[in-house]
Amino acid sequence: MKKWLRPSILILTLCALVAPSWTHAAEKKYTIALIPGLTTDAFYITMHRGAQAAADALGAELIFQGAPEFNPVQQVPVLNAITGRKPDAILIAPTDKTQLIEPLKKAAAAGVAVVTVDTFIGDGHYQTGSGNADFPLSYVASDNIMGGQIAARALAKAIGDKGKVYVSNVKPGISTTDQREQGFKEEMKKHSNITVLETQFNDDDANKAASQLQSVYARNSDLAGVFGANLFSAVGAAAGVKQANATGKIKVAAFDAPKSIVDQIKSGEIEMTIAQHPAEIGYFGVVTAYAHLTGQSVPPLIGTGFTVIDKNNADDPAVKKFIYSE
Amino acid sequence: MDTIPVTEVDTDKIGWLGWLAAARAWLFLALLFVAFEVWAQFAYHVTFLFNPFNVQSIAVFAVAPLLLALGQTLVIISGGIDLSVGFTMGFAAVVFAHCVNGTLDSLGVFGSLVVGVLVAISASIVPGLINGLLIARLKVPPFIGTLGMYGVARGIAFLLAGGTTVPVRNSILAALGNGNLFGFPTIVLVTIIIVAVMHFVLSQSRYGQHVYAIGGSRQASLRAGINVERNTIVLYILSAVCAAIGGILYTARFSAGAAQAGEPLLLDSIAAVVIGGASLFGGSGTVIGTVIGALIIAVIQYGLVFVNVEPFWQFVAVGVVIVISVLVDQSQRRLGGGKVDEE
Repeated sequence: MKKWLRPSILILTLCALVAPSWTHAAEKKYTIALIPGLTTDAFYITMHRGAQAAADALGAELIFQGAPEFNPVQQVPVLNAITGRKPDAILIAPTDKTQLIEPLKKAAAAGVAVVTVDTFIGDGHYQTGSGNADFPLSYVASDNIMGGQIAARALAKAIGDKGKVYVSNVKPGISTTDQREQGFKEEMKKHSNITVLETQFNDDDANKAASQLQSVYARNSDLAGVFGANLFSAVGAAAGVKQANATGKIKVAAFDAPKSIVDQIKSGEIEMTIAQHPAEIGYFGVVTAYAHLTGQSVPPLIGTGFTVIDKNNADDPAVKKFIYSE
Repeated sequence: MDTIPVTEVDTDKIGWLGWLAAARAWLFLALLFVAFEVWAQFAYHVTFLFNPFNVQSIAVFAVAPLLLALGQTLVIISGGIDLSVGFTMGFAAVVFAHCVNGTLDSLGVFGSLVVGVLVAISASIVPGLINGLLIARLKVPPFIGTLGMYGVARGIAFLLAGGTTVPVRNSILAALGNGNLFGFPTIVLVTIIIVAVMHFVLSQSRYGQHVYAIGGSRQASLRAGINVERNTIVLYILSAVCAAIGGILYTARFSAGAAQAGEPLLLDSIAAVVIGGASLFGGSGTVIGTVIGALIIAVIQYGLVFVNVEPFWQFVAVGVVIVISVLVDQSQRRLGGGKVDEE
């Protein structure tokens, strides 16, 4: 018994020592972490789905961890914990343009490849050799300025190119919603018969957004449209319109396409929404990180597309796939 | 209100100054309306107060924070605080949305609604009961116990919702959420009924007297034979049920149940209670005061948008009102020789 045990242990040990280096040489399994702006949002959940599809296709391991709220105070500890695990790459939707720079710098210094998705740090221009926030490899996102412009064009068309409109927004300082507002206002300047009123900030509270709509409408009876720059801004504005008995008279343009928004488009409470392609962002985020890890060069900016969803195309299978999954 | 010995102010002794302090919430609300009216007239030549649309919008706006504040009023009078109401509201909204959707095919439009309301309210009793047991029986400080429940209710609400909002399609519900009944917004009427019930409970019932007594002095209440433990548990259940009704009305109004529905409302609801004259040290406060407090916050926020002031002034304005309210409250107690909140 003992006689054959010893050599077999030796053989087993040798195998155990050699085996990992074999597979290592053949194909390293990369670990890529995705840190969303917040975990409780259909947008990021859909992004996770796209990222998972890419990770599965490439044989990489994907970690999805984030904070329940969109703020740096809660996101940074998550980032630090993930950095501590030393993944090969981090895809992150930074919750603040400046506050995330230092924590991400530490991750990069520890040898982790950093790609930002959806939102950015600094000015969003990476690998330029200037500024202190150019170290991420790439920024994969929808062009939110363009998204705002598309929203402005669609809303202008819906209101017959005249009247008053305003932007219902969350709060200043969030790169994406700031850009949507910027794009919307830029585009509206080209429409001389449309007046853009002062932006209303609602703190992501639908109740407040509804009340603000009613207040603005009470003073401006010729209010023709509202651009809700995120989910609760649009949902709140739509409820305000309904309460004011002005459905159809005041058109609401939304941004993003969770199922609840699409339902409200079908019922006529919301005119149209500008759907981003979050699955695409997740997919190309992972692919970009993988390309870098395997020695390929990557573009510093990857723009993903938009789809305008309205009553006429909401059931079209080609459009339906852009509704965010839950 | 008139049978409470603990903090009753002897108005004869302190004269008009004390009367002024006692009615300060009403006066302040009236003052706000006048200020906005003048502002709107001078700056834009339009009326603020005499536009029924404005009044209605303000009432609708105040509904959600007020429902959270109603249960909170009783809790605060008893000397406690309930930080979990915001997410209990979200939890109930999500449960309600799922129930209405899930039973729509089998029970029809109306049946699913009834089941949804019953299930959501029953479900909200659970966090309320746990809060009550923690605080009354296990002597966990209310701030900590309900802060724990804040996290638990939030997590479970998001888990149930799958991390997103749960859309609801129910024609009756939509009519309830945004429609009018006898010319008044339906959700405002529902809220008025609940306010009336809570006002009656607090000011007319024996239970209400016990709540004041517990807040005035827990030791004295125990000696007087009041079942402090059971009364406290009921308090937190009432608070959770009020929040659940808030969640149901939210779902009706926005045709979707959202786990984060009540998150931004928590502090507004506590502010409404304090502005309404309740003391965070317990023993004083009224339901009507809280209603006025909620209206004051709503009028400030709606009015500043109406007269087109930069939005961030809203925070400043509400903050200043809270501080002034507490200052007046303190001086009123000194005048009245009542319980002053200092150790």
